[in-house]
Amino acid sequence: MQNIIIGQYVPGQSFIHKLDPRAKLLTAFLFVIIVFLANNWITYVLLGAFTLLAIFVSKLPLRYIYNGLKPILLVIILTFLLHVFLTKEGPLLLDLGFLEVYEGGVEQGIFISLRLLFLILITSLLTLTTTPIDITVGIETLLGPMKKIGLPVHEFALMMSIALRFIPTLLEETEKIMKAQSARGAQFSSGPIKERLKSIVPLLVPLFVSAFKRAEDLAMAMEARGYRGGEGRTSIRLLKWSGKDTTLFIILLLLCVSLLLLRS
Amino acid sequence: MDITIKGLEHSYGKGTPFERKALSNINLSISSGTFQTIIGHTGSGKSTLIQHLNGLLKPTQGSIQIGDFKIQAGVKEKRLKALRKHVGIVFQYPEHQLFEETIEKDILFGPLNFGVSEDEAKRRAAKLIQQVGLDESYLSRSPFDLSGGQMRRVAIAGVLAMKPSILILDEPTAGLDPRGRREIMDLFYRLHEEEGLTTILVTHSMEDAARFSDDILIMEKGGVVLQGNPETIFSNPEALKNLSLDVPETVQFIHRLEERFNKDLPHSVFTLKAAVDAALSVLQKGDDS
Repeated sequence: MQNIIIGQYVPGQSFIHKLDPRAKLLTAFLFVIIVFLANNWITYVLLGAFTLLAIFVSKLPLRYIYNGLKPILLVIILTFLLHVFLTKEGPLLLDLGFLEVYEGGVEQGIFISLRLLFLILITSLLTLTTTPIDITVGIETLLGPMKKIGLPVHEFALMMSIALRFIPTLLEETEKIMKAQSARGAQFSSGPIKERLKSIVPLLVPLFVSAFKRAEDLAMAMEARGYRGGEGRTSIRLLKWSGKDTTLFIILLLLCVSLLLLRS
Repeated sequence: MDITIKGLEHSYGKGTPFERKALSNINLSISSGTFQTIIGHTGSGKSTLIQHLNGLLKPTQGSIQIGDFKIQAGVKEKRLKALRKHVGIVFQYPEHQLFEETIEKDILFGPLNFGVSEDEAKRRAAKLIQQVGLDESYLSRSPFDLSGGQMRRVAIAGVLAMKPSILILDEPTAGLDPRGRREIMDLFYRLHEEEGLTTILVTHSMEDAARFSDDILIMEKGGVVLQGNPETIFSNPEALKNLSLDVPETVQFIHRLEERFNKDLPHSVFTLKAAVDAALSVLQKGDDS
């Protein structure tokens, strides 16, 4: 339970921590798009280098990131296997009778898995190095122009920040309830599958009850402090675009151009 | 069951940027049938310590022996469920663990998990619901219709229904009104006396600590700083003050009486009645002279 890093913020002073949240959000967004430009070995190596560089510069402990990836690794491996066994292109590498493995399949499998891995790493890096409040302010300013066509941008950003803010709280709550029920003999992590499945109800019901109660309390507290939505509301945090952010975009542009040139 | 803790150490979040040492070098033995109280400020490691006693947390270093169960750093104990049958924990705000449709089913959850027959479990539920101060008509109601205090009582009944031989209470009366507090604590003490339970109470209330304990343990920053029976612990208000803790109100009262009348009085006065008696004795003697 402690290994989950989604929505977790790790305080720090690195280059990436100090970037403007808007720059980080845009980078993550653009990265998600340009990942799809890569289609041969050299372009994937480029993307990999960018991702590794970003992780290195963020100064986050590698073991921590690796532990956080563990739960997702299963999905990646599954994707890899599906591609290996289902893509029938190029020369035949292995024939097991009931299964055939083609070169194209292996290549495809590696590419798609890498693509997933890069996406997850870059987007986790965003939340690992940016406080939820900064992310919200960033999204709100970036989407600001959309207000003109009547999109509830402020509400959207608020919802997001509340959701992010409560991920760790809910995880903590889950752990607490798991402990309380384990003390009463429920089995979550050992014993037969049937027992483990049965113990989901004693976990989920209290979790939902407390989540609803928390939501109600939060709404009440916000109203009591005069919250009325985004109309005329100013932010205490002023975002500042600095040279660092421009540097990031130059790097990103270079990456983009080289991907376009090198892709086959 | 006797409890022996040797060189216990625990760190949270090992190998993450959030690693934090919560306990260091705890040595403690609690003999069967003792009422042990643990006092300490928030974050002193009390809750971490008690979660080791039924294997919810594993020690990073050291070992814990409970009866013939042994939990050791780096060794996997396979009989955790058997151990948990003997060690009941009432967590802070236990009402958050309620989940069943009816109160009876919720109380039955623990006993049924530990293989008690349904008839026997139901008998226990019917008895316990009265012991915690509700009546049998509640058994068929939903636990979510109750008030906070009533939910607390039901949750406590759910733990007691397991018939543990060691009962661990983590601030069981936090957030209750004074009457609820007294009733719940009296219930725990009665069970402790009648059934010979080993009771481990985590509390912030010096009054409860003084009235019920055989032994008091004071924790600070993950370690034990003071240990002794209530008389010894509360006879030294200075040491407590250094830890920003207080002596019980009755003891404060006795100290004031001593100052005012310049007399030596016995310090182990932990109930309201004893305090009144002490005051009367001083005042009556005062009349004589």
